[in-house]
Amino acid sequence: MQRSIFQPSQSSRRQFLAHVGGIGLGGLLGAPAWDAMAATLAQLPFANGRRERVTNFPQKGAVLLQRTRPPLLETPFEVFDQGVFTPNDRFYVRWHLANIPSVVDPATFRLNIRGHVRHPTSLTLDDLVRKFKPFEIAAVNQCSGNSRGFFNPRVPGGQWANGAMGNARWKGVRLKDVLERADVKAGALQVRFNGLDNGVIPQTPDFMKSLAIDHARDGEVMIAYEMNGEPLPLLNGFPLRLVVPGWYATYWVKMLDDIEVLDKPDDNFWTTKAYLIPDTPFASIVPGQTGVKMVPINRMLPRSFFTNVQDGAVLKVGQTTIVRGIAFGGDTGLAKALFSADSGGRWQEAQLGPDHGKYGFRQWEVPLRLSSPGPHKLMIKALNTAGIAQPDHANWNGAGFMRNVIESVSVQAA
Amino acid sequence: MSTSLRDVALIWAIPILLGIALATGLAWLRTSDSTTAVAKTATGPVQRWAKVAVDLPTSQTLFPPGNGADIANAQCLICHSAGMVLRQPPLTQDEWADEINKMRNSFGAPLPPDQVEVLAKYLHSIDGSQSPGGHSVLDGQGS
Repeated sequence: MQRSIFQPSQSSRRQFLAHVGGIGLGGLLGAPAWDAMAATLAQLPFANGRRERVTNFPQKGAVLLQRTRPPLLETPFEVFDQGVFTPNDRFYVRWHLANIPSVVDPATFRLNIRGHVRHPTSLTLDDLVRKFKPFEIAAVNQCSGNSRGFFNPRVPGGQWANGAMGNARWKGVRLKDVLERADVKAGALQVRFNGLDNGVIPQTPDFMKSLAIDHARDGEVMIAYEMNGEPLPLLNGFPLRLVVPGWYATYWVKMLDDIEVLDKPDDNFWTTKAYLIPDTPFASIVPGQTGVKMVPINRMLPRSFFTNVQDGAVLKVGQTTIVRGIAFGGDTGLAKALFSADSGGRWQEAQLGPDHGKYGFRQWEVPLRLSSPGPHKLMIKALNTAGIAQPDHANWNGAGFMRNVIESVSVQAA
Repeated sequence: MSTSLRDVALIWAIPILLGIALATGLAWLRTSDSTTAVAKTATGPVQRWAKVAVDLPTSQTLFPPGNGADIANAQCLICHSAGMVLRQPPLTQDEWADEINKMRNSFGAPLPPDQVEVLAKYLHSIDGSQSPGGHSVLDGQGS
């Protein structure tokens, strides 16, 4: 077998410096000229899927533009072939409300913990760093609507391909420890999180999300002040972001500055009216189906992807090629990544790369030798440690959430 | 100036100068103290708590010409740029109306009710739809 291709994650610092170099060059050329040079087009594989690759967002390298204001930026999929940790400057971005502070001053920033607590507390960033035990975890952050563009029938919303996700090492403090400092009173039900962003007009509901008190105190939910060893990019939530391992990114509140312990259920818009899924396996219903019980989106499902072969790739007959990709278990660890070279007839276990923790990406690879010329359909399927496998048929719901069907690529052997 | 006056001046000058020196020194110490703290933790996150100030790009994109484009430009662009609207898949006119009403009812868009139909018709006309009919399968959530 060929030498393993499992690679260490690339230095995001190096990429950042490269980006800074780009800005310098932009200064010489004039920003518009540079923008014109850097902007190239990508075609996502669905109707109306043409996207610009842009480099004009702060602290970001080349990303796919879904919306300028408030920013929706997709990670170009080739980034996921470079390692299991997604560089900060390529990490996808998703904001709901356009009133995003463009300046954050750590000297005046405070994280407040209030509500159903005995000691309402206000913490500086230095307090978090110095007065709490640091906690670090590798975890995938995935938008609820990642891959929405592949829904059939199509549904409105951010028309993402598969790049509204990323994996990072998050460092910060356990939410549990911070809540303990504020001394939560008996009878607490939920904890609600709010960030510095707001709507443009006062009528727009402020973006807030809640977790059950036991979930908030599970010792894994954390407040991150570092992402891959560096402060978070502003667009990923500088200076603090809630990290909810195994849960969809809607809960990972960015620019977190307010934690409110509630003694009654959160009735805010974003909890009760948005981010709801059918209470069915894989959140799946038949298009048009009504009368389904809806519940807040929650745990992630297992997924796996090819990262070094795409539809239409031509592989040499009789020659061994290393096919590889990434996989994750969702709300629990990845057990296996299963590969098929014959449209799902036979499955073989792919070799897995290093395990950085159950909530992170893992690379997988298989040596593939196609002996007959012609078309071949390759498939990859993740199975998690809870025994949940990716489904054969695409799940569907009207909001375009939680897609996790088995991925396939059609290649030619010649 | 007599000797005694000079002595008096000196007697007053010494504490004043000392005070100034002390105050300056303390101020310098405070500064250097925080500088030292930064230097000591050069490998930790503390020294990186620099103020972050960025410029977020703005979009100049307007909606394409058509009956209703003026409404779209006046209303939709209050809260978001045009890009994501223009990147939607084809939707029926009713589905566009649902989207518009979601913006009005859930997010407070100040769009008068009597403009919903014109705007829905317009958005449907620019989204590449082939047919206007069809039952909506969407659930109109706020996300």
